[in-house]
Amino acid sequence: MIETIRPPQNIRREIIDVPCGDTRLALHVWRPERIKGAVFYFHGLQSHAGWLWEVGPRFADNDIAFFVLDRRGSGISPGPRGEIPEAGTVLDDYAQAAAFVRAMIGDTVPLSLFGHCLGGSFMAALMCHEGFTTSYDAAVFCSSWLGRMHATLDADTRQTIASDRGEQLWDAGLRAADFTDETKYQHFIDHDDLAVRQLTRRSRAVLLDLEQRYLSGGPTTAPVPAATFVSGITDPIVDLEAAQSVFQELVAGRGALMRFPTDRHYLFYTDVSDDLVDWTSTYTLLQGVNRGV
Amino acid sequence: MDTAQIPQLPQTSPWQQHWQTRRDPFVDECLRARQSLLADLKDPAGAQARVLDDLIDIGAASLHWKEKGYDVIAADPGSFRSVLPIMRYNDFVDEIDRETRTKGGILSCSPVLRWLKTSGTTGTPKRVPYTLHWLLTYRIPAMKAMWGTCLEHHPEILAHPWATLDTQTVREDVYDFVHGVEHQAISNRHPQLNSRDWNPPWYESPWFGPDAPTSHAGRMYHRVRNLVGKDLHYISAINPSTLVSLRDLIAEHGAELVRDLREGTLYGKPWTDPDERAAAHLERTLAKAEFSLVDVWPSLTLYSCWLSASAELYRPRLDAVLPGVAKLPFMSCGTEGVTTIPVDDTLESQPLAVSQAYFEFVPAEVPLGALLDAGEKVGTLLYDEVEEGRDYHLIMSQGNGLYRLWTGDIYRVDRIEDGTPWIHFTHRDGVFHSFTGEKITEGQVTQAIRQGLAAGGLETGLYMCGPRWDELPSYTVVVEVPEPTDELDRELSGAIDRELSVINIEYASKRDSGRLAGLRVRTVAQGAIAAYVESRRQQGNATQYKYKPFQQDVDFVGALVSD
Repeated sequence: MIETIRPPQNIRREIIDVPCGDTRLALHVWRPERIKGAVFYFHGLQSHAGWLWEVGPRFADNDIAFFVLDRRGSGISPGPRGEIPEAGTVLDDYAQAAAFVRAMIGDTVPLSLFGHCLGGSFMAALMCHEGFTTSYDAAVFCSSWLGRMHATLDADTRQTIASDRGEQLWDAGLRAADFTDETKYQHFIDHDDLAVRQLTRRSRAVLLDLEQRYLSGGPTTAPVPAATFVSGITDPIVDLEAAQSVFQELVAGRGALMRFPTDRHYLFYTDVSDDLVDWTSTYTLLQGVNRGV
Repeated sequence: MDTAQIPQLPQTSPWQQHWQTRRDPFVDECLRARQSLLADLKDPAGAQARVLDDLIDIGAASLHWKEKGYDVIAADPGSFRSVLPIMRYNDFVDEIDRETRTKGGILSCSPVLRWLKTSGTTGTPKRVPYTLHWLLTYRIPAMKAMWGTCLEHHPEILAHPWATLDTQTVREDVYDFVHGVEHQAISNRHPQLNSRDWNPPWYESPWFGPDAPTSHAGRMYHRVRNLVGKDLHYISAINPSTLVSLRDLIAEHGAELVRDLREGTLYGKPWTDPDERAAAHLERTLAKAEFSLVDVWPSLTLYSCWLSASAELYRPRLDAVLPGVAKLPFMSCGTEGVTTIPVDDTLESQPLAVSQAYFEFVPAEVPLGALLDAGEKVGTLLYDEVEEGRDYHLIMSQGNGLYRLWTGDIYRVDRIEDGTPWIHFTHRDGVFHSFTGEKITEGQVTQAIRQGLAAGGLETGLYMCGPRWDELPSYTVVVEVPEPTDELDRELSGAIDRELSVINIEYASKRDSGRLAGLRVRTVAQGAIAAYVESRRQQGNATQYKYKPFQQDVDFVGALVSD
């Protein structure tokens, strides 16, 4: 458990070059002096590990090793910008990185998966992916509109997107003001030259494929030990009710719902950030308690 | 609960409660840091080995070290100097650019908590990574060790909440960010990064907090208004000019201060109880023509600031402003790291801070810049290979990932004690002068002159620049132009002064706070400087004499300009 009577610790920040398929991707880790739990974070469409410079250290100070994989084409990982590789490739990347993390932290340290926004869609597809065999102890979906394209697009439109192999760019239409009210973070988002704001049309087909995998493949390949959907009270981007419905189907109705007092989308750039990190830390650590069952 | 067992704090304001709560732990932390430093100074080999191990531990897994193959050092610490090149700040810029996006993991395996801002040689402020590891292991312990020396010699500086005026550090809100992370001067300790960050008892004091005005004069007035009439024992500064300007500010705003004290106001607005006794005392003090800070605060027992190198020239002035007051030197440090920490009241020399960085030295006569430009490998000396009385370039590897950084500073080794060199800063390599920390480089002045002349459609030729010592020091520049006139002198003085203020933010700060007078330009006919240089060559050693745009004084002005 978290040792509460101690000063802040000298946590480490490393970037590990992890072999993933035919390339090597940047796996970022913020690490405490002694790892008691771990969180594997799935970033969204435009963000990357560099967005979590305040979140990572706080997790680590809570004795949680915090891992973020920059996907191909995101953050400082190689790969064309605005391009998401085939679903099988990206899921295999995640599976390899998660296996690497499990090997690094050992079998007994509780590991949570944490997917933010579109990252939750990657995470849900991974949880239904046969190539993903790493044991984990909890799954947290944060402000993720699971099944969004299926909920908002009719069958014909989805069919058109699925067959579109075009390289023209599609603008995701993300607005910093929907993510956060704070000027500091809005300015950062608007000026982050590593952020991905546009995707090729064929990448949208991949996103649709990912959804298909967990909508038709769920519940997950292995039972989820613990699962929670967290969000603000409301979200300017996500239909929370629709998302939570998909979430419950994915985890066979065993999911908990949690709301933090904000109406912005990116909880880590709001006043609830520290509370969310602290809650996720304790949620993760408690999965490690040996109940003798 | 038995309330009798709970220590009862007097009915005081929150900042005083903070002072009371922090006082004893702060003293304890500072004295322990000092003891730890003293132990290291008696075992410099052990301290340097420990620092080297730490630098390798924090560096080896960084992306930069792995990409360059420097991580082989982990298996062979003795190869540190042969594997890593000597670097200048600009050599790190590409990696720093990457690190601004990742916030750690590129140059070292520690999160970057903020970026430290300091003047660069090209006018672009530097970004020095301020990492958690550096803060916890090096920077804060250095501050505490220095304050430990103050407390060891002068415990009265924490006798009560108004006993110390600390102008070394400030707390100012930050509005400059690099990819979301604050970019600020190291002296700005705001906001507190965690509970192990700098947290002296006066951290919440009204004259120290972010509510104080940010302008030099405004902040000074705020400090003085809070502390006049109190038994102030200690004024802590970095630059001696701060202490001199403190006295000048009291002289300039005396009437306003007296009124505020008498009426219990701050800037004329209701603030606290009237203090007639303090008002009357200050009034009597101001009536003396050459009053000192001791007249303002008869309780003063100590001050500190830089007191060696060019700062030494301030000593007569400081003796006049602070007569009979004990002094302690400030540590020798920069944004890039700490070099020496005072352990006693020796003014002209301090021990190399062997626990702060891994230090290397190159004899000052070696043209280090030229050799590095030529891509040559330059051998270095370690702390136990330097000789008394000699000057050296300093190269240091700090715990923030900036390894083997050639600082550009020249230090003289004064003596060796218990194996540790005692040294003092003499000057910047290539820098002709720094009155009060502005560190004007040749490149900066050249750039300012070039831009100032270009604005008037003039080309830059030979020029000479020197420091003019006066009550308010300044720089004088002589430039060649086709048609010298007094009007052109005035135009160029303003233009070049403005350019230099843009290029060097420290210069701008000193100008804004009235510690430097404006740069003065004198125009001379083309060819005049060259003729002067030639005449000098003939007087001295003809082969070694060469044109130097930067002079140690302004003697050249009289020879070049006939008033």
